Amino acid sequence: MRISLINVAYLLASLLFVASLRGLSAQQTARQGNTRGALGMALAVAVTLGALLAPDPEGGAHAMRAIRPEGLGLLAGAIGVGCVVGAVLAARVAMTSMPELVAVLHSFVGAAAALVGLATEIDAVHGGMPPEVAHHTEIHLGVFIGAVTFTGSVVAFLKLRGTLGSKPLLLPARHALNALLVLGCFALAGLAFQEGGTSRVTFLLISTGVASVLGAHLVLAIGGGDMPVVVSLLNSYSGWAASAAGFMLGNDLLIVTGALVGSSGAILSYIMCKAMNRSIWNVVFGGFGEQSGAKPAGGAAGPAKAVNETNVEGAAELLLGAKSVIVVPGYGMAVAQAQHAVKEITSLLAQRAVKVRYAIHPVAGRLPGHMNVLLAEANVSYEIVKEMEEINEDFGGTDVVIVIGANDIVNPSALDDPSSLIYGMPVLEAWHAGKVIMLKRGMAAGYAGVDNPICYYDNTLMLFGDAKASVQKLLAALQARSEKTAA
Amino acid sequence: MAEDKHGSPKGGAEGADGEAGSGSFLVGVLKEVDPREKRVAGTPASVERLLKMGLRVIVESGAGAGAGFEDAAYAEAGARVVPTAADVWGEADIVVKVRAPMEVPDSEEHEVDRVREGQRLISFLWPAQNKELVERLRARKATVLAMDAVPRITRAQKLDALSAMSNVAGYRAVVEAAYCYGRLLGGQVTAAGKVKPAQVFIVGAGVAGLAAIGAARSLGAQVKAFDTRPVVREQIESMGAQFVPFEFQGETGEGKGGYAKEVSDAYLAAEQQLIAEHCRGSDIVITTALIPGRKAPELITSGAVVGMRRGSVIVDLAAEQGGNCALTERDKTVERYGVLINGHTDLLSRMALQASELYANTVATLIEEILGKARVWQLNMQDEIQRGMLVVHDGELLWPPPSPTIRPGAPAPQKPSAPGGAHGAKPEAPSSPWPARIGMVAALLVLVPVGLFGQRELVQHMTVFLLACVVGWHVVWNVTPALHTPLMSVTNAISGIILIGGMLLSASGSVGVPVAAILGAVAVLLASINVAGGFLVTQRMLRMFQR
Repeated sequence: MRISLINVAYLLASLLFVASLRGLSAQQTARQGNTRGALGMALAVAVTLGALLAPDPEGGAHAMRAIRPEGLGLLAGAIGVGCVVGAVLAARVAMTSMPELVAVLHSFVGAAAALVGLATEIDAVHGGMPPEVAHHTEIHLGVFIGAVTFTGSVVAFLKLRGTLGSKPLLLPARHALNALLVLGCFALAGLAFQEGGTSRVTFLLISTGVASVLGAHLVLAIGGGDMPVVVSLLNSYSGWAASAAGFMLGNDLLIVTGALVGSSGAILSYIMCKAMNRSIWNVVFGGFGEQSGAKPAGGAAGPAKAVNETNVEGAAELLLGAKSVIVVPGYGMAVAQAQHAVKEITSLLAQRAVKVRYAIHPVAGRLPGHMNVLLAEANVSYEIVKEMEEINEDFGGTDVVIVIGANDIVNPSALDDPSSLIYGMPVLEAWHAGKVIMLKRGMAAGYAGVDNPICYYDNTLMLFGDAKASVQKLLAALQARSEKTAA
Repeated sequence: MAEDKHGSPKGGAEGADGEAGSGSFLVGVLKEVDPREKRVAGTPASVERLLKMGLRVIVESGAGAGAGFEDAAYAEAGARVVPTAADVWGEADIVVKVRAPMEVPDSEEHEVDRVREGQRLISFLWPAQNKELVERLRARKATVLAMDAVPRITRAQKLDALSAMSNVAGYRAVVEAAYCYGRLLGGQVTAAGKVKPAQVFIVGAGVAGLAAIGAARSLGAQVKAFDTRPVVREQIESMGAQFVPFEFQGETGEGKGGYAKEVSDAYLAAEQQLIAEHCRGSDIVITTALIPGRKAPELITSGAVVGMRRGSVIVDLAAEQGGNCALTERDKTVERYGVLINGHTDLLSRMALQASELYANTVATLIEEILGKARVWQLNMQDEIQRGMLVVHDGELLWPPPSPTIRPGAPAPQKPSAPGGAHGAKPEAPSSPWPARIGMVAALLVLVPVGLFGQRELVQHMTVFLLACVVGWHVVWNVTPALHTPLMSVTNAISGIILIGGMLLSASGSVGVPVAAILGAVAVLLASINVAGGFLVTQRMLRMFQR
């Protein structure tokens, strides 16, 4: 295959990837976007395979070597097994576990990038090529990013799954430790360059180990509620890792695609941080749980204030009497898998001409857009699922707001209490509504460890209990009532 | 406290007319001279409010009779009832009225001639249409506040007499229409047969239009509503009506201050055609389209009336400003081509009690606002509301006010959402200059050494890399937040492109043990899990998203 033909095919694949991301800008074109992405990937793989089977004889330095038959078998086996595993994972995963899946997929990219780096170096050493500054840097950088992504994602995965506690691990002098690890990688890269020969591989392996420790430690120090940021950050890293691999192999397709993914993850991290009113540094290095653990809240110094409690019957009564209802779902809904029951409630209300909408805070859940996916799974029309900016002004004209398993994202002290830890974070201003029903397990504070004054507001009614049980009881009560009136 | 009963007419110095003390101030409530006007500008309840402000009140005998308030009720509330209008004009410092001063029927007199120098008058005035009247008030050296000139800002809502009145008028329009229509409005299935719901079409969704939607809906009718301002769509839908959209070459009917504006001829023709189409299928049409200070636009042509079913009804709330229907006759119900066209302008007088209560409240609130905490009649020229309503001040013409900072508030209390709809909301790109600056420095730190020492190839790769970053950055900002999870899984799949790297390496290992090839194969394995898993799970997720 001619080298220029291969490059044109790669260019086409890159364009398809751009078109794929572009397609996601609207619901209507999203599926098309996904198809384009798959098409681009198929094209890239097919062309690479072709190039390996029949290399360009005049390719010069860029020539690919012809693959040997046993290598081909290995390759086919790897792709085959990988595709089957991937397909099974994709078909089996519950929508509530999307964050875990995304995290584990990131770790694969990271591992693959690190392996590619290692293999390139081994290949170079075996081929007797002397080290060269730029290439050497590319390899070390690629392996470094890959390894950090790999272990970071594995830790994130374990945290999301609950295998590891969501509490941040805060070692003393952890910033110094991080800096030391990074410097160590630099030093190892320098040593490897100086020593040359087979010790290059040895040093690279050590460096991989150091970077792995760094990745794991970085994510261990971040609390569970910051996972949306971490996951999108790792998404970004996985892109940069692919890009770095592209640099070391001199492959533009890898560079372009990696850059696309890298920017995408960077933007998502930025959006998430903005939604929490925190800088990326604060999330990654801040140790958010630190201060909050010591001091529960700025405003909660006084004795326990009274809350208005209600029961399922009272809540059903309120909902049936309302003209407009807004549902604010949070991570609690995802944990309890209550989205189907919630959807049942809202369609029952909609049948009775109640205007129902959902309000989604950008950081609700453990993954950007997580709530949207869960609601979509429960067949909620995306037309009534509103972003924070779209709906925040409408709370004032709404009769009842029902908050399910969310806390910090409806905390009024974010707006009016400068001493609060979450002061300045944009929140859903649910308290402007006529009544707010909070479904909550107990009076425990949310992830941020901040007391939520909305619980004590006069127009707030607390409905205590497990989210799923409460929602199901509420549904039953509503059904009983509407049958009564229908009869 | 200086006794200053008649108010001292000081020159129009900026700011205040600074009479000391309002304890002596006398508010006079007049009986309307228009025989068809049943409303009154003061009620026993508002009299009590005024007395609490430290004012005294006189009421012309019979002023509240039309609205159902007896003289005795005013007296009980603490007002002094005086026998004639002349007494009120002669004594009161502040005269409150509903309609603009007009010729007194069956006499040569005009109410303007009774205004004393320095007297304050609060009423509807319509200064744009009543230039001559304004001039006469100026000549009388009076101070006049027009209740129809309340600026449309949030703070002024409690003074917004027009909205209060429109609300009542919109409701009444439905009642009138139902009466003329003479059939059930709600659909029913009874043992004796089926009744179809009436089709109601509302033209103009200001406060009156929205109130009409609510009233018609609660009578069981099916309601459609039209407005040239696209932003009111949400309000129309929130009242339970169907919005009739209208687009014309990018022109909208949205003027300043949330009101409608005048439009081009071609635009009007297209509008008339659309309205005619919808009139054809409607049983009741209620028009409420007004443009401030202008003749009402003719939206229903005689052709449109011809096209309507026999027995249909048009209620034209704009009859006073010339009517939205070409065949409207003021203050009459006429039958044209089998369609009853109601052009009565006294709908508010048909709801006189509540209309009076609401109006009197806004008047009392205005007085309270002017008196302020100090309880002194002191007009504040810096205050957007007071300045906006002030037409004549001690004989100085102050209308129209300097273009106020009107925010586009729609008539109804809900704020209109920005046009753009469900998919319009996207996070904005960051505005802080720092990311860009840091990026610049970092880029220079990398690029300069590359340029100095790097090979041609590296520079090429760098070019590709940075351009791809820029493309990615721009493309991804357009992704709708609801799709962020699919975005992540798609980028997951795409980052499986590292697969290619693994493939290239699996061809290596020509020397000795094929370690590199095996490592490459493992990378391929992992990456292909990513590719397959990522694309498939995205597909699965996107299939769930439905309208």
